[in-house]
Amino acid sequence: MDLGLRGKNVLITGATQGIGRRVANLFSEEGANVAICSRSPESVNRAIKEMRVLADGKVTGAACNIKNKEEYEAWIEAMAGELGGVDVFIPNVSAGGGMDSEKNWWKNFEIDVLGTVRGCEAIIPHMEKRGGGAITMISTTAAIETFMAPQAYNAMKAALITYAKQLSQAHGDKGIRINSVSPGPIYFDGGAWDMIKTSNEKFYERTEKTHALGRLGTPEEVASCIVFLSSAAASWVTGVNLVVDGGYTKRVQF
Amino acid sequence: MKVRRTQKIRRATERRGPAGTPVEPAPRPNFPNDLIPKQRYTSREYMTREWEAMWTKVWLLGCREDDIPNPGDHIVTEIGRESILLVRQPDRSLRAFHNVCLHRGNLLVHGAHRPKEGAEGFRCRYHNWQYRLDGRFEDIPDLETFPQGAPACGGLKRLPCDVWGSFVWFSLDPDVEPLRDYLGIIPEHLDPYHFERMVLKEWKTVEWDCNWKASVDAFNESYHVQGTHPQLLYYLDDLDIQIDCYERHTRYLIAFGVLSPRVISPSEIPPPIKVVMRDAGMDPASYEGSVYDAREAIQKFKRKHGPAQGKDYSELNDDQLTDDYNYLIFPNVTMNVHADDLMMFRQRPHPDDPGKMFFDYWMFELPDVDFDAEEYERPVHRQYRHGETSLGLVINQDAYNLPFVQKGMNSEGYDGLWLGDQELRIRHFHKTLEDYLSGAYARGKTKVGA
Repeated sequence: MDLGLRGKNVLITGATQGIGRRVANLFSEEGANVAICSRSPESVNRAIKEMRVLADGKVTGAACNIKNKEEYEAWIEAMAGELGGVDVFIPNVSAGGGMDSEKNWWKNFEIDVLGTVRGCEAIIPHMEKRGGGAITMISTTAAIETFMAPQAYNAMKAALITYAKQLSQAHGDKGIRINSVSPGPIYFDGGAWDMIKTSNEKFYERTEKTHALGRLGTPEEVASCIVFLSSAAASWVTGVNLVVDGGYTKRVQF
Repeated sequence: MKVRRTQKIRRATERRGPAGTPVEPAPRPNFPNDLIPKQRYTSREYMTREWEAMWTKVWLLGCREDDIPNPGDHIVTEIGRESILLVRQPDRSLRAFHNVCLHRGNLLVHGAHRPKEGAEGFRCRYHNWQYRLDGRFEDIPDLETFPQGAPACGGLKRLPCDVWGSFVWFSLDPDVEPLRDYLGIIPEHLDPYHFERMVLKEWKTVEWDCNWKASVDAFNESYHVQGTHPQLLYYLDDLDIQIDCYERHTRYLIAFGVLSPRVISPSEIPPPIKVVMRDAGMDPASYEGSVYDAREAIQKFKRKHGPAQGKDYSELNDDQLTDDYNYLIFPNVTMNVHADDLMMFRQRPHPDDPGKMFFDYWMFELPDVDFDAEEYERPVHRQYRHGETSLGLVINQDAYNLPFVQKGMNSEGYDGLWLGDQELRIRHFHKTLEDYLSGAYARGKTKVGA
């Protein structure tokens, strides 16, 4: 099956580590041209350098604090200009979890929600010009089932599922597909579940057993779903929330 | 994932003012790498030698000064088979006595670790022999029926007693050197923390099924963190540690609020470091920096906001605002010292079983501006068996190991402690203990008398 990504232009926010980085790698290996960002110029440059070793398309990027609207929009315009348009957008960057103060709500709103909304609003006109495109938002299983604690992260990520669905209805006529992916617990070295595995092995093992498939997912397994939904292979899919969790959540998705 | 990053902890290079805690590393002692024979932990013979040559020759922690603040206030503490009565005198000085009536040997005051207020004297419940606060006889009923008269000593047997660091100390050795000489570097190192400003928050004793030294050892090295407390790898650096050995006592300095070199940085600030931030009054969600700068950020925050929080850190260097300055006052007092609290352990031997001990746990906290002295209720001491009470996750993890360690030490398959460089303090502790047992610390007077 050809994903039809060769020569496509992909913008991914916050893609120097974790799942975002694997998504960027995969797009790049499929022959797409990829633009990434992160707050630190050093990590962007390091990631670009590493990605270019395996890349089949162009790899570029620049430092950007997406909390700053002007800076964020300037990054989008610069990347779109450099690659010559935008076909795929993955608003990946997140403020992460935490229940420290009200500040967590503001951070998840500004980074997870506005970081997605502002990106979509700036990029959709670029997609219109090309006659279509695909946006895949990143949510979480913590948005669809009770998880750990009542965090801002869970509720703000839930907002993205609703936003993706409604945005897909609004822009379907322009050939723009909009979906979301909700990963469950994902293990990678240096990730949150690496810390949990080290700190509280029993809890980690219980969590593994809770999965129908008996283990935690890998970032590559999430990345392949994000790349698929963003590709021509999923041309008839829009407005869905794809739960990628190895059977971690138990609800029936009617 | 198993990693071993290269990481160098930035440490204070000088004390904070002339009254500050010295920070320079002590010369590293050169001990042989010999096995430490397990019999020191298991044999009754060694236990007896320990009692005769060490416990009865050192200064021992008795109680906190504010357990007995007013004249007549008193408390009983126990060490091995001895029961000691500590009494605040009318002139506010302190005296320690063997807590035993000279008539038929009844313990004079019953119940240990329970502060009692305002006695005018002491009365034995058996035959009403009475003693004054200074220990002298007050009244012996029917004295005329004792043809030999009252015991010639004139009252309770008095022991050396002195105070340092808000604590009352005593010795079973009437000829012991002055407390200050015994403590050596300790007051200079720890006075800057002002323990006397701290308030008691928890006070417990737990009976553990292990030798008292197994407990001392457990808090004398950081090598066990990766085995016993994996969650602390996201809280402290267990590898880059400054270990300092002094005459009898030792310390190590452990950086808190940092990642261990044994783990990789997660993208978010780890929850244990967030706890340190929150305790300092910081909002972790507002911290935009990297995890590698968190310790310094916390230090700066405390330095800046401490005074407004009612906390005087003026004699503490920046490291002391986050780190654990951990001291062992030989033989049995472990002080986990922090700017805002003191977590103190006293490990006491069982009267006759080398396989048992008493673990005394105190938690003291530096009050902040919100502290209400009127509302404050001083905790009452409670005693438990192993497993009956929680001492917090970290100490519970240590406590879990100890009965198995003791059991294992009794095995034919085990010869003794195989120690590495990270366990230098344990070697120093055994060196000091052996020096006592060989008489190296014996003082002129006791030698002459012996």
